[in-house]
Amino acid sequence: MESSRKQRWLQLQSAFEPGFKQMLLVSILLHLLLPVLYYAPFFPKRVFEKPPVYRVNLVNKIVKNPQAGRPEAAPVKKKPAVKPKVKPKPKPKVKPKPAVKPKPIPPKPKPVPVKPKPKPKTVKPEPVPTPAPTKKKPQPAPKPAVSKAQEDNLALRLKKMRAAQEKKASEQARKDRIAALKADALAESSKVRSPIADAPVGMADGTGNEAGVSAFAFVREFIQQQWSFSKYQAAGNPEAEMQLFYNAAGTLLHYKFVKKSGNSAFDESLTRAIVKSKQLPQELPEAMPFEIVFNLKDMLAKP
Amino acid sequence: MKHFKIYVLNIIFACLLCSSAVAARIEISAPGEQTIPLAMTRLLPMGVGAARSAVATEFQQVLQGDLELSGLFDLTDPASFLSDADKLGLRRNEIDFYQWRMLGAEALFKGGYSVTAGKLTMELRLFDVITQRLLTGRNYRGKVTDVRKIAHTFADQVLKSLTGEEGPFSTKIAYISKRTGHKELYLMDVDGYKPMRMTSHRSIVLNPDFSPTRKELIFTSYNKGNPDLYRKEIYTGRESRLSLKPGLNIGGRYSPDGREIALTLSKDKNAEIYLLGTDGTIHRRLTNHYSIDVDPTWSPKGNKIAFVSDRRGNPNIFIVDIHTLEVTRLTFEGKYNATPAWSPKGDRIAYSRMDNGVFNVFTIREDGTDERQLTFGKGSKEHPRWSPDGRFLIYSNDLNGGAKSIWIMRADGTGGRKISAPGGNDSHPAWSHRW
Repeated sequence: MESSRKQRWLQLQSAFEPGFKQMLLVSILLHLLLPVLYYAPFFPKRVFEKPPVYRVNLVNKIVKNPQAGRPEAAPVKKKPAVKPKVKPKPKPKVKPKPAVKPKPIPPKPKPVPVKPKPKPKTVKPEPVPTPAPTKKKPQPAPKPAVSKAQEDNLALRLKKMRAAQEKKASEQARKDRIAALKADALAESSKVRSPIADAPVGMADGTGNEAGVSAFAFVREFIQQQWSFSKYQAAGNPEAEMQLFYNAAGTLLHYKFVKKSGNSAFDESLTRAIVKSKQLPQELPEAMPFEIVFNLKDMLAKP
Repeated sequence: MKHFKIYVLNIIFACLLCSSAVAARIEISAPGEQTIPLAMTRLLPMGVGAARSAVATEFQQVLQGDLELSGLFDLTDPASFLSDADKLGLRRNEIDFYQWRMLGAEALFKGGYSVTAGKLTMELRLFDVITQRLLTGRNYRGKVTDVRKIAHTFADQVLKSLTGEEGPFSTKIAYISKRTGHKELYLMDVDGYKPMRMTSHRSIVLNPDFSPTRKELIFTSYNKGNPDLYRKEIYTGRESRLSLKPGLNIGGRYSPDGREIALTLSKDKNAEIYLLGTDGTIHRRLTNHYSIDVDPTWSPKGNKIAFVSDRRGNPNIFIVDIHTLEVTRLTFEGKYNATPAWSPKGDRIAYSRMDNGVFNVFTIREDGTDERQLTFGKGSKEHPRWSPDGRFLIYSNDLNGGAKSIWIMRADGTGGRKISAPGGNDSHPAWSHRW
């Protein structure tokens, strides 16, 4: 049995080339060396970090130094921990207040009985004119002559008042509707969750520390939306540069062309866009000048 | 010393102001809206003339059709118009621009008309709603039957005021129709109205082309048995044979300056491209190959001609330099590329390519790059020709293999619509120049 094994081993040895064992040994050693080198401190290791996730929400308020990140994240996690400490304090303070409030109420009824006294006085003169109608009977005749114009005037005024009231009501209804829509939008946006839970609030290119969007991004987006220009008007790729100056209230104070494109249709479309953008829908953090370059690169890139 | 202090303080203050007011540089590389919102009010009667609603309706229909085809505008719904639409205010101070701005319109068309003793007067205006400026305004006088012509002419003006280049709507389209049972030459408006028969050869008429300088056409006709080249004056109707060489005299195209005609002759038993004078004499032979060379089309500079040749096996488009006679191949894709037409702007060449038995219109740059398919779907689309401003293309289309009709589309392939009247087998369109 042993002799047969020896014979097989000898056969194997004869099949290998000379020096095979050494080569095998070197190969094993090299393989062992690889993990050693990998874990050795000579080679720097790449740390795989979570990729940053950015979402730009231009509905957010405009801030001076927007931070990077997504808009719906809640970076103010520590603040709620502080708030509960403060809250219990005001609570006991509120309790005694209602105790105080009932006190001033009793004195109020006192003046109430006083008030009815003058009221009958005012009521008294009313019955006086009622017997008078017998004396004023001849008066109705002149009334219609005068009241025609007066009635018309009154009717007109009433109409105007009603119209104003209706307008006010519709305005209020519109405001309520907008407020409801805003609340819905806020609730909807709060439902959006980023794949990375701890991503901060802000802009893709934000470097500051305030939650919101930059004025530049907002102004860029707003003016772009006001700009209408057809690709069938385009000849070549015109480019124009304008200078705009907005005050902190978002009102355009002045604008001028730094460089015109030479294409009158293009330049006129820019003037229209700027005139439409003379009032921004949001305030700016401060009065700001902008230099805007208009061209059609993106539009012409599309087939 | 006191003045010096004030001076220094002023400098410091100015420096601070400058540092705080450094303008941010923003780039906006595409508009938010790619159409101009246009409010088109209905023409209103003016003066003492009788009100004719048919005039206003027809004018509205023609102008709206032209402006929609241009692709420049997005028309505001007339149902949303407020009180200013019912006022005939043709001056800036008579228009309530605020109303139009509320509707989102950026351009406003207003106009009035009057008809007295069969004479029509129209006052037409286009305003910029945002800057409250008059963009263009024209007064026209003519017959009541000129309504369509006035509408087309004003549409050209509108395009000029917004793009700097006049529109092609008041030009004409020539085409071949088989309405009478024979292929005859016809002329119609750009929107397909007023078709008018120009020939009565009772044979086969083909390949019309307009002179760029004179109100005349050339075409090929088998009137005398041989396909000869004819010239026809549009208004006098005078007709003459321009080239009557034995064999083919087909595909005649005027040079951009109108002094020469490129066409295919087969007088030497092989179809080759030649240059002819306007008197019919041969100026030059451009190709010399045993293959068939047909359908020449001039570059707008007049130094090159694109044509179809089967010299590499299948019909493909080639370009020959008329000075050096150097021939370069333009199309490599597809097995059958034919009927090229060089854009008047010079940037692209349109042609039709057959794939799976169906022709479609393609365009390509002169250097053979940026090939684009413009038409899709059923039906063969052939014989593309450009409008004089290069904005539009016309072509023949046999929807579902039926009778052919003339179609128009924008140069990017959008907005395609049929323009020729139903009932005719219409093909080989050609667009006139501005007269």
